[in-house]
Amino acid sequence: MEMEDDPFDFESDALLATSPVVAPKRRKKVLGLDDLLADHYKEKSRAIERESRLAKTKSTYNSDDEEDGRVAKLSKYVDECHEKITQLGDEDDVSHWGLNVFGKQQSPPSFVFSELSSCSLFRSFVNHEVNSLVELSTESGESFFEGLLANGWLLKLVSECGEVEKSIAKWTFHLMIYSSKEVLTSAAIDFWCAILLLKNEDESPSVRIDWIPSYSELKCFLETYGFLLHSPTNDSKDSSDTEMVPGEPECTEPPQNIRAWIKYVAAFSQSRNIHCTFTASEAEELVVVIVCLLLDRQLLGLSIDLNECMLALVNFFTDDEWSSSCVNVAKSVASRVPKDMNSVRAVECIPAVHGPSKLLRSAIAFHILLGFFDKVEDEEVVIRKLTSINLKDKTCDLFKVYIYLVLTENWFLYNPLLEDNQLLNEMWGLFLRNCSCQINITDSRSYAPKVRSKASYLLQGTADRSF
Amino acid sequence: MGSKRKRVGDGGMEENTMAILDTYCFSKSTQHIADDRLSFLEAVRSGFLVTENASVPTNKMYKAIFQILKVENSLDLIMTSYQLLLELDKHFPQAWSPFSFGTDATSSEKQDHGKVSGSFDVTDFHLLIEDLSKVPDEANTEILNLQPLRNMLLFQYLVNVIEGDFVPRNLAFTEHSDWNNLRESLLNMILVSRKITYKTLVKDCLSTMCELSQYSRDCSHDTRPDETGSTEITEKCRTALAIALPGVVKSTCAAVQKLLLMIIELDSSKKEADLEGWTTRADGTRTPATEIILDELSYDKNILFPFFQALDKPKLKLDMIVQYLKKYIPKTSIRTRRSNGSTDDSTFGGVLNSFSNGNNTKSIIKKISSEVAQLLLAHAFQAYILLPSQHSTESKEDTAENSRPNICKDMISAFTCLKKADKHTEIQPFGKEALFTAAIMLSRNS
Repeated sequence: MEMEDDPFDFESDALLATSPVVAPKRRKKVLGLDDLLADHYKEKSRAIERESRLAKTKSTYNSDDEEDGRVAKLSKYVDECHEKITQLGDEDDVSHWGLNVFGKQQSPPSFVFSELSSCSLFRSFVNHEVNSLVELSTESGESFFEGLLANGWLLKLVSECGEVEKSIAKWTFHLMIYSSKEVLTSAAIDFWCAILLLKNEDESPSVRIDWIPSYSELKCFLETYGFLLHSPTNDSKDSSDTEMVPGEPECTEPPQNIRAWIKYVAAFSQSRNIHCTFTASEAEELVVVIVCLLLDRQLLGLSIDLNECMLALVNFFTDDEWSSSCVNVAKSVASRVPKDMNSVRAVECIPAVHGPSKLLRSAIAFHILLGFFDKVEDEEVVIRKLTSINLKDKTCDLFKVYIYLVLTENWFLYNPLLEDNQLLNEMWGLFLRNCSCQINITDSRSYAPKVRSKASYLLQGTADRSF
Repeated sequence: MGSKRKRVGDGGMEENTMAILDTYCFSKSTQHIADDRLSFLEAVRSGFLVTENASVPTNKMYKAIFQILKVENSLDLIMTSYQLLLELDKHFPQAWSPFSFGTDATSSEKQDHGKVSGSFDVTDFHLLIEDLSKVPDEANTEILNLQPLRNMLLFQYLVNVIEGDFVPRNLAFTEHSDWNNLRESLLNMILVSRKITYKTLVKDCLSTMCELSQYSRDCSHDTRPDETGSTEITEKCRTALAIALPGVVKSTCAAVQKLLLMIIELDSSKKEADLEGWTTRADGTRTPATEIILDELSYDKNILFPFFQALDKPKLKLDMIVQYLKKYIPKTSIRTRRSNGSTDDSTFGGVLNSFSNGNNTKSIIKKISSEVAQLLLAHAFQAYILLPSQHSTESKEDTAENSRPNICKDMISAFTCLKKADKHTEIQPFGKEALFTAAIMLSRNS
C-alpha cells in the first residue's frame, strides 16, 4: 500500500507534514529505535536523525541553497543506511492478516431467458392494444425486461400483481449473481431485497415469490465464484504462511458480484418471519462464511456490507438458538483460522454493537485461544497457562503472547458474565502485569515493545474500571 | 442531549489512548505507523463503544480519528475510521462536529488548517463536492488511487453529521416554530457562509449527483485494467478498490441527494419563517434550491435523465416535473380544463390532459422536443405510481381526474398523441416501459 518510491522521503516529509500526532517532546522515543538496531548501526542512525530534523526544517522554512551539497552527501549516506535498516527490520516485520479465500472462478452457468415468453406479464401485454406503441416481441423481450428491471418498473409491477413468477425470479437472480453490467446487478439487488421484505400487516408475504434459491443453491453460487468453503486450516500453520490454500495467485480474485451475494444473504436473513429461510445450522455456516470473507483483504472495501450481513445473520437467531449457535460458530471459526494475525482479525472483524454480537466476539476469541493449548476446555485452566508463561525466557514466542493478549482482551471485554468472576479477573490482571513488567524496555525481541505497551495500556484500563 | 453528556474528567483515558498514536518515530515503516493507528481505532472502540455508560471521547480523539479518514492511504484505515466515526455518531449523537466555521478556531489552528487540523471548513466541504464529480474519471485510470474512495466516504460521513444535526432541529421548527435553533443548524451555517457561493454549491451538488448516477449506470464489471509487475499487496488493494467502488458510488450519489433534499426542506422552513416574520435581515435571502435546479435542468438537457433517474423522492420528483412542464404548456388549455376552480393545473392529471390535444402537444414538443416530453411524462408517471405507498393521504392527487386508472389511461393517450404529432419520432425505451406498466396496471384494476 506504500505509494512512495522512496519510503524514507515519504516518512520524513509527507508524514511529518500531515500527521497530527507528531509531538516534539516525544522525539526522545526515536532513541528507542537504537535498541532495536545492532550497536554498529548506532552512528548511522544518528545521521538519519539529523537528516530527519533537517527534512523537517526544510518542509517548514525551505532549504538554504548553500546547504544543498551537504544535504546531497548526507542523503546518499542516509539512503544506504536506510537500506540496511530495512534489511534488518525485515526480521521483525509486523505480521499481517489476510487469506485468499477465493480460488479459481468457474464460468457462470449459461442462462437463457427462454421462459420469458411463457410468463404472464409478457403474454398479457403482447396482444394488448398498447403494444402498437411499445412493439414488444419475443426477440426484443429480454432487453425490454432488462429496462423494466434497471429502471425500477419491475418491482412496482410484481407488487401490483402480487406475484413474482418463477421465470422472472430465476432470471433476475441470475442477473444479480452473474451479470457483468453494474446497472443490472445493482437493480437486481434492489429488486430482491425489496420483494423479500414486502409484507402485509400480519407478517405474511404480500407478494408470492414462486422461486427462492435453496441454501445449497446459495452455496453453489459461492462455489462458482471460487470460494473455498471447506478448506481446512486447522493444521498448525506457521504465521509466515498466510495463504489458506496455495494456488495460482492470478486466479484467486473474487468476482465483483460477491457484493450481490452478500446483500442478498443479508436481506434473506431479515425476512425470516415472512419467508421460509434457513435452518439455524445453515445460518451458522453462513456466519462462518462471512467471517472468512472478512479475512480476505480483497473484500476490505466491502466491510460495510459484510458487517451489515453479519448483523442480519446474528439477528436471524432467536435468543434461545443463539446461546448454542454462537458457540458452534465460534468453534467452527476457530478450527478454520490460522493461528497468526488472522485469528486477531477474525475477532476484531466482528461488529460488536449489541448483546448477541458482543457474545459472538467474545466466544470466537475464547475458542481461538483454546486452540493454542492442547486439550484445554476450561476458562480457568487457559488463563492459568497464560500466567505461567515465562516471558523472560529467550525462546518465548512474543508474537504468540501478543495474540494471546488481544484474544483474552476481547474474550473478557465483550462477555458481561466475566465481569463478576473475581478469580479470572485477578489472573488476567496478573498476566497483564507480567507482560508489562517482565519485558524490559531494551528487549530487542520482535513484538517485545508491542506486548509491553499493549499490556500497559490494558492494565491502565482494567485499573480504571475496578476503582 | 449528547452534548450534555459527561466528558471524561480525569483525562487518563484520552492520554492513554492518544499515546498509542504517539509511538511514531522516523525509522518505523509506514506499516508500523498504520498498525499503531489501527490499534488506536480499536482502542477507541473498546474504550467507548462497548460499555453502556461509557463517557464521550474527547474532541482531541474525535479529531484524530477524523484525521485518519481524511488523509490516510491505507484501505484498512480508511474503512475502519469511517465505520468507527459512524458508530460513534450513533452512540453519542451530536457529540462532536468536524465542521469549523472560522469563529472558534484559534489563529494557530487556522495556520495549519486544512491539511493538518482534524476539522473541516465550509470551503473544504465545497471543494470536496467538486472533487466527487471527478470520481468517475479517476475511477477509470490505471493508477491505484484511494483518494476517490476516501473522498466519497468522507463526504458520506459529513452528510451524516449534517443530517444528525438538521433533522431534530427541523422537527423542532415544525413543532414549536423555533427558527433560532434551526438557523444555527450546521446546514444553515454552511449555506449562509460567505466563504462559498450558495448557488454554485447547489449546482455542484446537482452535477455531482448526475455524474455519479451516470457512472453507476455505465459501469461494467470487466473493464478493470490488468496491471502487471505490481506487488501482491497493491494488486489486492486494487481488487478491493474495484470491488468496492460501484457500491460506494451508489451510496455517495444517495448522500448527495440527501444533502440536496435537506437544503430543499430548509428552504421551505425558512420560507415559513419569513412569512411569519421570524427571520431577520441577517438571515438574508436565498433562491430556493428547487428553482436553481429547475433552471439548470432547462438549461442543460443532458442532465435531465440522470437527475430524475437518481431522484428517488416521488413527491418531489412529481412536483418538479409538473413545474417544469407547466412552463411549456399553453396557458389557455389548462384554464379550460379546470373542473372546480381548484389549482388542478399543477397536478399531474392536469398536465397529462394538456397532451390529449393535438395542437397543444405539437406546441409543447416544438419547445422541448418529443424525447424530453416522453422522458418527463414517464418519470412523472413513475413517481406518481410510487406515491400511494409513501403518501397514502395525498389529497391533491385524490380527485377523480387524478385517480390511478385515469392517469394510466391518460398516459397512454398522451403517448398516442405524441406519436401522432410527429410520426418520425420513436418512443423512447423508458417511455415504452412506462406504457407497459400503465397497461398492466389498467388491466389489473379493471
